[in-house]
Amino acid sequence: MLSLLDRNLVVVTGKGGTGKTTVVSALGLAAAKQGSRALLVETGRDPQIPSRLGVDIDGSDGEIHALAPGLDHLLMSPHVALREYLSLQLPGGAGWAGRILDIPAFRTWLDAVPGWRELITLGKVWHLAQQTDGDRPLYDSILVDAPATGHGLTFLDVPGVAAAAVRAGPLHRHAAAVEDLLRDPVRTVVLPVALPEETPVSETLELLERLQADLEVPVDRVVVNSFEAAPLADPPGLRERLDQWQGPEARCLAECVAHVDRRHTLHEAQRARLAGACGLPLVTLPRLASGIIGAEDLSLLAGPLLADAVTP
Amino acid sequence: MSTFETLLEARVLFCVGPGGVGKTTMAAAVAMAAARSGKKTLVVTIDPARRLADALNISPAADTPVAVEGAGLPHGMLRALMVEPKRAFDRLVSRLSPDEATRATLFANPLYQQISSRLAGSAEYAAMARVQELSEDPEIEFLVVDTPPAAHALDFLDAPERLNGLLDPKALQWWIRPAASAGRLGFRWLQRGARGLVQALERVTGLGFLEDISEFLLAFEQLTTGFRDRADRMQTLLSGADAAYLLATAPSPQSVSQSRDFILRLAERDIVPRAIVANRVRPWPDPGVPLPIGPKAQRAYAKQLPAEDTADAVVAVEWLGAYAVGVDRDRHALAPLLEEATRNDAFVALIPELAGDVHDLDGLVQIEHALSGRQPTKRSS
Repeated sequence: MLSLLDRNLVVVTGKGGTGKTTVVSALGLAAAKQGSRALLVETGRDPQIPSRLGVDIDGSDGEIHALAPGLDHLLMSPHVALREYLSLQLPGGAGWAGRILDIPAFRTWLDAVPGWRELITLGKVWHLAQQTDGDRPLYDSILVDAPATGHGLTFLDVPGVAAAAVRAGPLHRHAAAVEDLLRDPVRTVVLPVALPEETPVSETLELLERLQADLEVPVDRVVVNSFEAAPLADPPGLRERLDQWQGPEARCLAECVAHVDRRHTLHEAQRARLAGACGLPLVTLPRLASGIIGAEDLSLLAGPLLADAVTP
Repeated sequence: MSTFETLLEARVLFCVGPGGVGKTTMAAAVAMAAARSGKKTLVVTIDPARRLADALNISPAADTPVAVEGAGLPHGMLRALMVEPKRAFDRLVSRLSPDEATRATLFANPLYQQISSRLAGSAEYAAMARVQELSEDPEIEFLVVDTPPAAHALDFLDAPERLNGLLDPKALQWWIRPAASAGRLGFRWLQRGARGLVQALERVTGLGFLEDISEFLLAFEQLTTGFRDRADRMQTLLSGADAAYLLATAPSPQSVSQSRDFILRLAERDIVPRAIVANRVRPWPDPGVPLPIGPKAQRAYAKQLPAEDTADAVVAVEWLGAYAVGVDRDRHALAPLLEEATRNDAFVALIPELAGDVHDLDGLVQIEHALSGRQPTKRSS
């Protein structure tokens, strides 16, 4: 099985709150540790990744910053990317692009056009994936923290929709090229992140159906994040013994153990449901007892992320 | 600190917050409590999980509110509606089109097709318009609105302004000549500046696309007055006295930081959330028992455990120590948010992490009770 870092482009997707940013950050750290060059792309309004890695960045959105040796970061700015795109495409170059983008009526109108931000974001990712440094790609891995899938699959849908809406010309060709990249199993993998609970599993199954059947993008594994481990499995018999203990501290302990155990049972059942229904191998990331706090916690997830996915 | 009941004094309650924190669940649970308190309530959701939608008896196909019965709810007091963006957008355009020809032109336009179906942003326009319409229904005493996740929830709040921007007469006049009307061939109806822009962009987009844009703009212009009026009314609703906001958050540092950003954005509009609800907080069963964090506290804790084998107590407390760090982390992450809420006299609730996921009416009742602080009562159904 190819490792996640064997592909040039990894698009990490899933519902809000499943841990996409955590997965992207952990993969980025792992890539840099392996000695490959990685770029982490964020698509939200505010940067989340640098602070998790304990790095302060300054400078403006839409520019690439180094977070660590071999690890770069880009907070996408659709306006900056559009300016770059028009500068490349229009015969008048940057001058024309600037003049067009400075027309207030154009900006107003643009703000109201749904989907252009997603399209230009993916266009910029495509452009970065074409860049080379001598005879090797500029980035070995481009890891995209995709917007949460919510109403529809808007982000990855956009190139196809745009290629259909714009029937000819460079924009049509470019949208089609982005779509081709997203569908190419050699260069790209789409990585859904799920939580092992009833609703997130159902939503992940719906997402997988759309990714594979409608969009035909390559998906070869699913990440199950924040999996609750069985409490106090070792030494044997301890669970039974502590139930006999008396006193408020003992009751508190027993209730916490019971709570985590119920959640563990639920997680196991939901993970099995996901595995059974999607037929894909899974990567399970543990719920870290203290939560994800910094780079050190993230590096704990690198091992499971890069190991072969399994069918539980 | 306010009580839960103060939330029900609003006429429209918007549930906002980052993705994955349980906004839909909160919205449904508040709506149940409102219905129980005797208000004719409607809960509107845009993108519910399927099983929750099933539990509420809603589907995208139903364009009108449906009754939610069961879970001891008073008969006929709670209804639910799922807004399907494409349908809502079409409905709005149909209503605002001055004539059948305009409507037909728009519906057939490829750009309209894309805008109104599933591209990002259109859901917010459409959903907001539907909510505004419902807010004028005298049959509804309390309206609860579940908004899309944070990045999009802003779009939701911005929807009226963006529509107004698009339909601003000055912006439109820049594009379209005032006298433009039938027989519009090529781009003759475009203003000179716009013609230059269109011709420049044509090199990138090809001709057909811009024809579609032109047709779209021209047909859409017929709807501007109606749209602007709607947008103004949406704006009034969002920032008016009838509206209140419930901010839902998870206790993770990431969710809390997103929630705080969200509060700042609301503050720019002079909106203060009336309630802050932290969902899925790691429970600590006995507030009288201190958290065993750090070696000293863990030794003290282990001494209180009547284990025959002290090794058992050590292993158990070590596990509990890690669990307690999680409890403590939640508390620390939430503290600034909750302090601010208390300062603003907002209602604050912490919903403990449940053993399972909420996807049915019984689960919603559990959340309802955790929110309202009311004890579960015996019910007949």
